[in-house]
Amino acid sequence: MINYILALFLGLFFGFLLNKAGLTKYHKIVNVFRFTDLAVLKFMMSGLVVAMIGLYGLRDLGLITFPNIPATYVVGNILGGLIFGAGMALTGY
Amino acid sequence: MEWLKNQFSKELWSPYFAGALLGIVGVLAVALSNTLLGASGGFENLAGILGQAVAPDLFDNLYFNFVMPPEITWQVVLLIGVFFGGLLGALSSKTLKWRFLPEKQWGEIFGTQRWKRWVLAFVGAIILEYGAGIAGGCTSGLAIAGGMLLAPAAFLFMGGMFASGILVALIIYRARY
Repeated sequence: MINYILALFLGLFFGFLLNKAGLTKYHKIVNVFRFTDLAVLKFMMSGLVVAMIGLYGLRDLGLITFPNIPATYVVGNILGGLIFGAGMALTGY
Repeated sequence: MEWLKNQFSKELWSPYFAGALLGIVGVLAVALSNTLLGASGGFENLAGILGQAVAPDLFDNLYFNFVMPPEITWQVVLLIGVFFGGLLGALSSKTLKWRFLPEKQWGEIFGTQRWKRWVLAFVGAIILEYGAGIAGGCTSGLAIAGGMLLAPAAFLFMGGMFASGILVALIIYRARY
């Protein structure tokens, strides 16, 4: 139960930040593929950097363990990415 | 204090700042629930629930029984949170309103008919979700949450996503690229 409450709150923050970064807008998503507005990349990459430092730091301190990392199956990952990107550029989601 | 309030009610924050906060949310997800953030997975759980109610035979397969179980999972609850979080974000900047079409850039390319947006959103979202299903995640679930853990899958996915995204945007926008 507590896990679901956590999920709700984390989701609230996640959605709030997506909105504040403008990623809920069609043109923000599409323009990253046109190189005219890189907000998506800036958002993703700064999130990645902060989280990498945080996660690996906490793990090395022995405070957390990692969940299962997403499985690697090269062809599937790339093919899925290719299909996904096409949908993303069409819809702007 | 006044300054803080003004910053809070801005429509757009610096994407670097919002991204950094997202990183903290990602760390908290792992630290508190030992789970990864993700958006597309929740939709598949919901699709599984619907599908097993409507056509149980069709959905009685490995994928919907084990990979994406048809139940209210952590990811589904997260999605509910994301919806209301986005709503709060729009409320905080007083930009919340009903929109049937995206802002002006859409109209420059596709015109102002609503059905075009609806058809394209529906078809595009099917493509998007299908791709996410194959790859094992979407922008948030695989690229961001997987990337945080340095999962190779995340970086393969990002490569594919940008390659085809750029190509499709090039086709749609042609001369106006």
